[in-house]
Amino acid sequence: MSRVIDVIKNPLAVALALIVALLLLGNALSPGFASGQQILRLLIVAALLGIVAAGQNLVILGGREGIDLSVGGVVSLSAIVAGNAMNGMDGGIPLAILACIATGALFGLLNGLGVTLLRIPPLVMTLGMLGVLQGLLVVVRQGIPSGRAAPALSEFVTRPFLFGLPGILWLWVAIGLLMAFILSRTVFGHRIYAIGSNEQAAFMAGVPVRRMRVLLFMLSGVFSAIAGLCLLGYSGSSFANVGEQYMLPSIIAVVLGGTPLAGGKGGYTGTMAGAVLLVILQSILTTINIEESGRQMVFGATLLVLMLFYGRGRGLRA
Amino acid sequence: MTKLKLSGVSKAYGATMALRRGDLEIEAGEVHVLIGANGSGKSTLCKIVAGSVRPDHGEVLIDDTPVTVSGPRAAQALGIGIFYQELSLAEHRSVAENILMPDLPREGGVFIDRQALVEKAARVIALFSKVAGAELTAETPIGRLRADQRQLVEIMKALASEAPVLIFDEPTSALDRAQVDRFFEILRDLKSEGRSIVFISHRMDEIFAIGDRVTVIRDGETVGTAKIADTSPEKVIRMMVGEQEGLAAPQSAPPATAAAAGSVALVVAGFSGQGFSDVSFDVARGEILGFGGLHGQGQSAVLRALFGAPPALSGSVALGGAALRTTSPRGAIASGLAYVSGDRGRDGVISGRPILENVTPIHALRNRLWLARPGQLAQKALPALKALNTKFAGLSHSIGSLSGGNQQKVVIARWLIDRPDVLLLDDPTKGIDLSAKADLFALIRKLAEDGLAIILYSSEDAELLNNADRILVFNGGSVSRELGGADRTRYNLYHAAYEAA
Repeated sequence: MSRVIDVIKNPLAVALALIVALLLLGNALSPGFASGQQILRLLIVAALLGIVAAGQNLVILGGREGIDLSVGGVVSLSAIVAGNAMNGMDGGIPLAILACIATGALFGLLNGLGVTLLRIPPLVMTLGMLGVLQGLLVVVRQGIPSGRAAPALSEFVTRPFLFGLPGILWLWVAIGLLMAFILSRTVFGHRIYAIGSNEQAAFMAGVPVRRMRVLLFMLSGVFSAIAGLCLLGYSGSSFANVGEQYMLPSIIAVVLGGTPLAGGKGGYTGTMAGAVLLVILQSILTTINIEESGRQMVFGATLLVLMLFYGRGRGLRA
Repeated sequence: MTKLKLSGVSKAYGATMALRRGDLEIEAGEVHVLIGANGSGKSTLCKIVAGSVRPDHGEVLIDDTPVTVSGPRAAQALGIGIFYQELSLAEHRSVAENILMPDLPREGGVFIDRQALVEKAARVIALFSKVAGAELTAETPIGRLRADQRQLVEIMKALASEAPVLIFDEPTSALDRAQVDRFFEILRDLKSEGRSIVFISHRMDEIFAIGDRVTVIRDGETVGTAKIADTSPEKVIRMMVGEQEGLAAPQSAPPATAAAAGSVALVVAGFSGQGFSDVSFDVARGEILGFGGLHGQGQSAVLRALFGAPPALSGSVALGGAALRTTSPRGAIASGLAYVSGDRGRDGVISGRPILENVTPIHALRNRLWLARPGQLAQKALPALKALNTKFAGLSHSIGSLSGGNQQKVVIARWLIDRPDVLLLDDPTKGIDLSAKADLFALIRKLAEDGLAIILYSSEDAELLNNADRILVFNGGSVSRELGGADRTRYNLYHAAYEAA
């Protein structure tokens, strides 16, 4: 019995079980839903979300109400930056990558400085930054064409590369391994958990708490920027607010994967499963003809229900 | 006539007897002083009267009638008013609302009668009109007041209850001379009205200025009651010390040679900051320097300031002859300082994380490690944990799975992998079991023998007397006396601690 409870309490196991259940459900509703091609397409979409959620995951793990609501804005902006940098030519890809990472790091840095030096709560700081980014996008789009993806980038995201899987899935796997390595096998990773679970104790043990927190927001910006770059490859050209859809799902994926919003525990493996789960759910909702507004409501409600199970971690001190 | 009587009350928290046998008799129209050393049980005694703690055994009688004080509200109904040592004011509410919080005047039973509120409060505030400062009015929000004014408001709150029995637990710690004098005048007026006052203070001059009788409590037992007129500060201190005179455990006293042989490690001069001023001392290698005195006299603040959390405002520190400026724990650690807090839940334990991650942060920092290889870290962690006899099932288990004493051992062990030069111990045994304490002190002595300079603040006087080579007694944020050699007696410790600051 206690074994069963352990499994239920393990968010990763729950997410995996739900993934299988939803695939079966989707296939029953619309035969062919769980076909190989279809699953591959779902995984590509999940990878885009999962890369954004990697940064979100780090910020949330760091605790003190850490959250990044500006991820969508960074995704959109970096898609435009990348589109203009490469403008449909493979030769522009290296420049595009650098420009994207710089963009993401810059906005992450601003978020981090606002949260640590100006002591603005992350929720407010990153929401404000999202507003700034949205305004900036409007301005940018009036003067600059949106730009096109280079063929190599589109191939990287959509065409099979190795063992029938496109490059982006390999990239996601690599990010997953890297995250697991950072979190469990580096001092930096241990410090993320330390500031997330007891900031004062971490400070007394010499952890540079502020610098860490700034770095986490920067990493979140960089991951969002990488996702923006890949998103450009996925859609061919960037269009207004392509990234807007990522804010809420990136948070839900993290919480679904077993990282409570209070931070200090959890990891990225669960988040990856959470991202896949969300994408399948979204696809099922589309299959049964639920409008975008309805999908948004389902996502919002999902997050609230999740909070009941995993979110209220604070106060349970070991 | 006896107004309030406690007879044979006791209270245990788990295995610890906070109060063994508390007896107390308060007459109508007297100021009765209650005195005892740190952890002697006087706070528990007060809490029982206040109704916030239920006694396990014994009786509470008011006007010779046994009563059950089931809670703070019941205490209020029984005519007991209390001044709390931990300020319990609502920061954003006005002075008037705070003063009358326990019994707000109402209209129609629901709405607060603003006019009556301000008028009633103004009467109490007027009592202190000459000494409180012009900005203390009925309408002022608490947040705008200074510490002494807040304490006055807390006193006013107790006075406004107009209860026949008033308990003041260290009501004067933040007040200046004129405020204390005025407060005592008011107490004398109350006394002449026939009210009973229980007064807890650590200042001998105040006790002898205002008290009629004094009851001494030691190790959870009432030792005796004396008339102030018939006793003296020395006699009261004798009662507090009891038969435990002298160096409590000379056989375990550290070898004086080690202290004499060591070179000076840390020199602190004119150190001032939040909660302490002009503190100067030095510690030699191999020496255990004790910080003693009553709780909260600046001992902990000095240790934290040395560690940069937060840094001191002025003064100089030299470590091994070189000037040292610590602005953060990170810098202090790099300079070879270590700090163990007694509040492990706040400052030490990284909750929910494996024991390994809790032992290794200092090692990783001092060696600038990037990678955390579990096998390699375990090799470093195990000897440190073993040195303290830490009991744990595995390094990968959560620190939450350990007992409090073992958690503290893990937190201490993190400082032992790479030896610091100076070890700052800030009441390190708070809330841990006896065997863990023994293990800890055995290790501290060994570290001193190995040449570490150690500063030990302990709220348990026996720990200081048994382990420290010298003891600095803190009083009101500065060092009032240094006890060394044969002077390290409980009597001298109390005498210095209870002197007027």
